Amino acid sequence: MTPERWDRIQDLFHHAADLPVADREAFLQRECGDDPSLVPEVAALLAADARDSTPVDRPVAAVAQELLGPSPLDLSAHRFGPYRVAGILGEGGMGVVYLGVRDDLDTKVAIKILRDAWLSPARRERFASEQRLLAQLSHPAIAALHDAGTLADGTPWFVMEYVEGAPLTDYCRTHQSPLGDRLRLFRSVCDAVAHAHRHAIVHRDLKPSNVLVTTDRRVKLLDFGIAKQLEAFDDAAAVTRTGLRMMTPAYAAPEQFRGAGIGLYTDIYSLGVLLYELLAGRLPFDLTDKNAAEAAALVAAGDAPKPSVVAWLRALPGDRLASRSAWADLDVLCQKAMHPDPDRRYSSVDALIRDIDHFLDGEPLEARPDALAYRLTKFASRNLRAVTIGAVGLAAAIVLVAFYTVRLAAARDRAVAEAARAERIQGFTMRLFEGGDEAAGPADSLRVVTLLDRGLRDARSLEADPAAQSELYLTLGSIQQKLGNLERADTLLTAAVAKRRALLGSEHPDVAAALVELGSLQSARADFPAAAATAREAIAIAEKSLPPTHPTRAKALAVLGQVFELRGTYDSAITTLDQAVALYGNDSTSAEFVITLGELANTHFYAGHYAVADSLFDRILVMSKLLYGDRHPNVGDDLINLGAVQFEQGNFTGAERYYREGLSILQGFYGDVNPETASAQTMLSRALVNLERYDEAAELLKKTLGVYEKVYGPVHPRVASAVNEVGRIALRRNRYDEARAAFQRMTAIYREVYHDKHYQIGVALSNLSGVYQAQKQFPEAIRLMREVLRRYAEVLEPDHQLVGIANIRLGRNLLGAGQHAEAEKASLLGYQILIKQASPPKSWLDNARTDLAADYQALGRPNDAKRFEAELAAKAP
Amino acid sequence: MTHPDPDREAVDRMFSLAYEELRRLAGAVRRGEAGVTLSPTALVNEAWLKLAASPPAEFHSPLHFKRVAARAMRQVLIEAARRRTAEKRGGPEAALVTFDDALDLAPASGGDLLELDSALEALARLSPRQAALVEYRFFGGFDIPECAAILEVSEATLTRDWRSARAWLAVELERSRNAS
Repeated sequence: MTPERWDRIQDLFHHAADLPVADREAFLQRECGDDPSLVPEVAALLAADARDSTPVDRPVAAVAQELLGPSPLDLSAHRFGPYRVAGILGEGGMGVVYLGVRDDLDTKVAIKILRDAWLSPARRERFASEQRLLAQLSHPAIAALHDAGTLADGTPWFVMEYVEGAPLTDYCRTHQSPLGDRLRLFRSVCDAVAHAHRHAIVHRDLKPSNVLVTTDRRVKLLDFGIAKQLEAFDDAAAVTRTGLRMMTPAYAAPEQFRGAGIGLYTDIYSLGVLLYELLAGRLPFDLTDKNAAEAAALVAAGDAPKPSVVAWLRALPGDRLASRSAWADLDVLCQKAMHPDPDRRYSSVDALIRDIDHFLDGEPLEARPDALAYRLTKFASRNLRAVTIGAVGLAAAIVLVAFYTVRLAAARDRAVAEAARAERIQGFTMRLFEGGDEAAGPADSLRVVTLLDRGLRDARSLEADPAAQSELYLTLGSIQQKLGNLERADTLLTAAVAKRRALLGSEHPDVAAALVELGSLQSARADFPAAAATAREAIAIAEKSLPPTHPTRAKALAVLGQVFELRGTYDSAITTLDQAVALYGNDSTSAEFVITLGELANTHFYAGHYAVADSLFDRILVMSKLLYGDRHPNVGDDLINLGAVQFEQGNFTGAERYYREGLSILQGFYGDVNPETASAQTMLSRALVNLERYDEAAELLKKTLGVYEKVYGPVHPRVASAVNEVGRIALRRNRYDEARAAFQRMTAIYREVYHDKHYQIGVALSNLSGVYQAQKQFPEAIRLMREVLRRYAEVLEPDHQLVGIANIRLGRNLLGAGQHAEAEKASLLGYQILIKQASPPKSWLDNARTDLAADYQALGRPNDAKRFEAELAAKAP
Repeated sequence: MTHPDPDREAVDRMFSLAYEELRRLAGAVRRGEAGVTLSPTALVNEAWLKLAASPPAEFHSPLHFKRVAARAMRQVLIEAARRRTAEKRGGPEAALVTFDDALDLAPASGGDLLELDSALEALARLSPRQAALVEYRFFGGFDIPECAAILEVSEATLTRDWRSARAWLAVELERSRNAS
């Protein structure tokens, strides 16, 4: 037949089909006069047309069912290596998964076979590819490949670890896992994915059903069925060739929808969706009833609601996963991982893991929008002391760590580890850290955390060179300590000590040097017994193995002295620090010596030996100028200390002079908008208050408040503390409304920052009560102080100094209200608590004495009254 | 108009997907699952949604995709039919016996489909558009309006095309069955 003939036949067919059946024969005979052979052909078509059912009328599904529908293969007789088939676990598009048992060991495995392997080479290739990729991976959180082969008929199979568990999201839902658990499980997933990525393998189908959690809470990543190995010369990031199997739209990255390049970043996106689901309880985008184009557009737009918002709306109030401030970070984590633009996602799964760790450790995220305020806030809330070390230290740390990273690389490559060199470098880096770099601002300071992490990884790789490794742990530990990461510093320094002990024996001077660092850290962590023990051990080793003039001996003594100082046992502190200072002897211009001398001066200051402190600070000032130059911030600090000595002695004019001098140096170094500068301004304002120059003081405080707000944001403990000063001045000036507003703001900040559970909220309320007390509104003041005590009882030891002060405040208000019996109880309790303190605050004790004397007089107990009057007259401490 | 032959590579790539979808569908029918979508159109739409999620870039449009999908389904089924016919004859692959093999090998399946395939080849020589129409409608599960969109002709034309093609195929298949 020709197309022309077929056209003619069709014409005839359609015409005839429109006619009544009876007329068709005649019609055909008439029309086909030139070619009668057409008639039976058209007639056959008409007959077929009349049939209800022809081969093409069956639905394709029925055809498919007939051809492809049979049950899974019965493989009970087959053996796969040492395993026999014990049942069917599941059927997928690719193949069937059987449960395998190894009789001799009673272990279970999963046996995967490719069904209908004959269908296409592409399917066989894909199956082989999964097997090949799995063979490269060896990770506790990735189901492992055990064995592989082919059946007699060519059906390929492989045996892998059998995983029994629940999909990640189901697991967390049914166990109502708290946030920390969820993040740790998710982190394990990331770990597994990162392992695959290190082998240049992209999973491409990360979703809860491929991430199982076993009953012993371990994570297993499954199904590398559409995983892809990036080619060696691929642009590691971009692979356009896409697998045959569809991935799951709900977890697909925008580039997967677009069919654009697939890379490691594609997995990062899916991980982001997974995290989102874990946090929010649902998927970021609802793709049900969406066609492909709509789904692609939705995902590409990338504006899923923040997980916090979703979770907040879904959860019951008592059932929240995280606090509001934690949610802010979690939102950022998700958004960064799920960014529609691959370039703006986490650059690696490792980076994502680091931010999860930062979150779990309460550190700033790397992903945070780079607002300085955020980072400083986060940093300062974790460790105020670290911030006071200052922006300079942090900025320098970047230089240091960058330098140090380079050094690590060199150490790795060349295994350079001579002790002298290491020490030289350590000295150099530490000086850098402490000295500061005037040109560098604090802007990028917190990147240092990241750099340190990198340094740590590098250090870990130095297993073969324990001497160098311990040196690096020591350096890193000291830096972490200066940054306020005391936990990490502890780990590192403990490791450094252990490594040196193992390498050099317990009596080696290098062990003593490491112990000195560890002791100093333990003292910073307020673990005084441990710090004292560590320092004593260091002293003992140093005395045996080192000459008296060796700096390690002095340093060890200095640590012990500092422990005494912080414990408040000033006599022992002074004795010990005196010894340390004496050991430095001739070497009396070193930075270490100045630091030790500083500790000694502080101790005398705290002990109230103002004259000694004054002369020591004077000496330190001279040495600082020699060491660092006239305008160095250390010089500024020394001047502030000298001012503080004058202040405590009541010489406010002298204090003001020192403060102003110190302030100008700090201002020149740090600039106006800097917490260091602001902190010195606060000191100055206190001196001005005592000089009753309230306007100047208030003016200054307004400036410092502005600085804190700018640096830390409006809701921050440092801001609260500045607001407190403002309130105190207002109270002094009898500006009650202003004072009340300030203390109320202070309360509100602490409430928000500390989630209503912190003694600082009590302090704020206590100061607020002072306003009512000054206005003689005793009932309100009493109400507030009772609340304060209730709050303290929740978070403080019953004999805490603040509890004592609060009772004394309560007592004074009760006295004001004429409730002498209750007032006596409160004041006496407060007095008893304070008198037991290592250094009782005298002004509060005197308040208690005054009030108690009045109470006892009113209660008709003159003898008791006399006792406290006598203490007052004797100027008892 | 010319016969819109989907490019070879795209079909190859679609092949496995089509197989999986057909396999899934077949399994669902066999298990008698409730709520299984039996409409081939829905099946292909679903496949499109998923495939579009990892689209070989050459699928410019849903219409292009449908052409490729239908061709791929045809190939999968024809391959399966060939295989099944070989098994029936006791070829070397018959070593693995399925649980309900004997019951499942209804006489209608494998052979008929292979014959339909060759009849379609013959029809393509007479009228490429009609062969394509049958491919889309029978293998791809598309309805007339969808086919009209793919082939860019009116629905009325396709209704006529379908009617004569359907009759012609029935005649052809009967003829080849009587011949064998």
